[in-house]
Amino acid sequence: MALLEVTDLRTHFFTREGVVQAVDGVDFSLERGKTLGIVGESGSGKSVTALSIMGLIPRPPARIVSGSVVFDGRDLTALSESELEDIRGKDIAMIFQDPMTSLNPTLKIGTQITEVMKRHLGVSDEEARKRAVDLLEEVHIANAADRLNDYPHRFSGGMRQRVMIAIALACNPKLLIADEPTTALDVTVQAQVLDLLEELRDSHEMAMIIITHDMGVVAEAADDIAVMYAGQIVERAGVLDLFDRPEHPYTEALLGALPQIEGEGIREGRLTAIPGRPPDLVDPPPACRFAPRCPYANRNDSCTTEPPELREIRAGHWVRSAHPASERAAHAQGAPA
Amino acid sequence: MTSNGALLQVEDLTKHFPVKKGILIERTVGHVKAVDGVSFEIREGETLGLVGESGSGKSTTGYCILQLLKPTSGSIRFQGVELTGLAREELRRTRRDMQIVFQDPYSSLDPRMTVGNIVAEPLEVHGIGTRRSRRETVRRLLDTVGFDPNFTNRYPHEFSGGQRQRIGIARALALNPKLIVCDEPVSALDVSIQAQILNLLKDLQRDFGLTYLFIAHDLAVVRAVSDRIAVMNRGRLVEIGDAEQVYTNPQDEYTKALLAAVPVPDPRKMKERKRERRKFAHTLAEAAESADAATLEPSQ
Amino acid sequence: MAVNPSQEAVRGAPGEPRSAGAPVRQSSLWRDAWRRYVKNRGAVAAALVFFLLLLYCFAVPGFWKIPGIWTSLRDVDPYQIDFPNAYASPSLAHPFGTDNFGRDLFARTALGGQISIAIGFGATLAILLIGVVYGAISGFAGGKLDNGMMRFLDALYGLPYLPFAIITLAIVGVVNFWTMVVALSIASWFTAARIVRGQIITLKQNDYVRAARAVGARWYRVLGRHLLPNTLGVLIIAIFLELPGVILGEAFLSFIGLGINPPDASWGSMAQDGRDAYRRAPHIIIVPSIAIATLVLCANFIADGLRDALDPRTRES
Repeated sequence: MALLEVTDLRTHFFTREGVVQAVDGVDFSLERGKTLGIVGESGSGKSVTALSIMGLIPRPPARIVSGSVVFDGRDLTALSESELEDIRGKDIAMIFQDPMTSLNPTLKIGTQITEVMKRHLGVSDEEARKRAVDLLEEVHIANAADRLNDYPHRFSGGMRQRVMIAIALACNPKLLIADEPTTALDVTVQAQVLDLLEELRDSHEMAMIIITHDMGVVAEAADDIAVMYAGQIVERAGVLDLFDRPEHPYTEALLGALPQIEGEGIREGRLTAIPGRPPDLVDPPPACRFAPRCPYANRNDSCTTEPPELREIRAGHWVRSAHPASERAAHAQGAPA
Repeated sequence: MTSNGALLQVEDLTKHFPVKKGILIERTVGHVKAVDGVSFEIREGETLGLVGESGSGKSTTGYCILQLLKPTSGSIRFQGVELTGLAREELRRTRRDMQIVFQDPYSSLDPRMTVGNIVAEPLEVHGIGTRRSRRETVRRLLDTVGFDPNFTNRYPHEFSGGQRQRIGIARALALNPKLIVCDEPVSALDVSIQAQILNLLKDLQRDFGLTYLFIAHDLAVVRAVSDRIAVMNRGRLVEIGDAEQVYTNPQDEYTKALLAAVPVPDPRKMKERKRERRKFAHTLAEAAESADAATLEPSQ
Repeated sequence: MAVNPSQEAVRGAPGEPRSAGAPVRQSSLWRDAWRRYVKNRGAVAAALVFFLLLLYCFAVPGFWKIPGIWTSLRDVDPYQIDFPNAYASPSLAHPFGTDNFGRDLFARTALGGQISIAIGFGATLAILLIGVVYGAISGFAGGKLDNGMMRFLDALYGLPYLPFAIITLAIVGVVNFWTMVVALSIASWFTAARIVRGQIITLKQNDYVRAARAVGARWYRVLGRHLLPNTLGVLIIAIFLELPGVILGEAFLSFIGLGINPPDASWGSMAQDGRDAYRRAPHIIIVPSIAIATLVLCANFIADGLRDALDPRTRES
């Protein structure tokens, strides 16, 4: 049985301007020890998905309107707040984007790490401190014992992120959700943090969800990838298959829009720009949400009338589109346009 | 214009920020050497990409060149004229030829001014044209950057990040500059919008014969627009050369480590690259430490 | 490959339409602020009461001049002395009673309000003016000048504001609207200066200020076109924060006899009139006191409401 099974998750924000359908149809499953990368641009709903799993969405104005999140056999959406609190930090841990504001500036690092352990594991102060030192060493912070007594402002961005990881790992969670863990970091620090996460995932046998907008990061860190657009998963596949043969027009366009670091004729060439902007989530396009920007959408097909379903186009590769790449190629070969 | 076609010549540029301590009476206890002896040239019509991590001094270098910050020492020759120590009125006139596009689309436009006024401001400041002719110029500029000229009466907050960057670019073009310093112009934008703006910048360069100093931390973005690359680390220029050369055959250890650290959207390559990275583990750790340390020091 | 006509597109490639599209959101900063303000019921109630109070003060004293409007109440001329009716308790003919001279308190409170409020706003605007000038110069200049000006300000903070007001009035000798304004503002502009300076320093960090400099704008343009207009929000809040202090100051000065001279009245001087007759006719001192308290309370609530409504942190979401 998969560790985490998300089925048809929908989270809506009820605001004065209308109902923002931030997450509107997300399905995926995650096995123990594997890493899922959720990629998308701003407004795609990736962060809200993570927060929905943890039950951390602000209620009001948000609400999970349908769907289920089954973690280790229990549906998290059906649990009470106190039951969720028992799970957060212990079985599922989360690290956030901005290391500068994720830690409490008025508490020592040591306190912030031990507090999680005392809450969930009921260990003694001494035991907790010892484990905190071990954790800091695991995340490669030098002079761990001394550093326990420092306040966050004495740590730089990259080190704070490592402290966050240490806190997240304190109770040996089964699942770690990392929301844009390296976006605010320099590239050299990012490389170290990603290496660290991989190392820890293996040593702790954790499952991981990495949320990011950076295709390079998921190429490096993920086993499977889910591409999100306008609140929905539009493509889901293993990492090699996704990059080798992307199916959804958005995924293709996204990969084409990425500036490459290696290759020929980069300076002279143009990047594939996706025209327009992501849709307004209060009033999204009625059928396929990518249709207004899609080069293959046609007045005569179903793109504007019927919302496409997520279907398995080959083993392990799911796509939500009426015009996936392999069908386009077949069509072009098969019959004159 | 100078004899060898260099539009901009920077020699031994330094910028030190004093570190002050004390409550009642502030004493200067030391200096942060944000820029520590940087020299390079930019030829007319080319793009020099200035790359570095946070604390490398790349943005400070850009601001010093534009004289938005006063350099501590060094020479900056623009169109053959030495900028440091230039009389105020002369500098003001020279500003028409060198402009800037900022990183943050939200703080780079005055929220209380209409789009039209924002783009017209450079023209107003230098007394160019009449009100009517300025209106026309503004419409033309906005059209050039792909922004609908019918929205000149709107306010910046009504537009998205990408649209605001276009407004900023239109403003930078208003005075017909020769050199534009682009300070992380796409860092705050989504990938798909980023591509639009990068394409736009390339087109504008071709159409108007612009010269760019393109400052960024994203190596892939810089690669897409630059002819030559300069790599900065902790205030020093560690490598400079043809873009192709620097990316495929870097000479400096830091540059090599930096390039090794960049994730590429290709999972197979990533496996190899991760192995490569281990070779540079030491340099990377050092670089990470100093990048880390930089954030603890006073910002520039 | 069909070209989708509803696409917004990019400039440049042949065949692509040119515009980057329409605005993404349609509201104005002020309208958003208004909506936020209106959500705060306390602030709305306070604004309403404030407005009614203003209406009362500026409309009522003139009522008696309009024939036919006040049929059952004859003596609503605030200056009309009527000794036989002095110290009368509130009744239908005199809703607030009469004072020691038999003058109708309903009309007189309104009249007093005019002066109290006028001095209140006058002094507040004076405070803001001085504060803006001092704070803007200090914040904009930065460096040693800023340092010096702030240290000087710190020293001034020690000056007690009421004694200074009293001294000023004593020196000038005359007490009228203008001298009151000067006296009340002379030692109370320090906080306003600090607020403005703080705002200017924050605003200076914005890239649009750098952009103006990069274009060659001179300092007065940067200050006048970019910095000061963006301090408007802070200034509006400052008005309602300074108002209570000034009104109470005027009331106090009048109460101790240094204020407005008869036959004009301010709420403070009316309270002073009622002080001696407290046992016999308490309403004479109570009525203006309640008026002062109401105005001050409303101003505070409005200031809070404005601060929440104009908070820049919630502006861009």
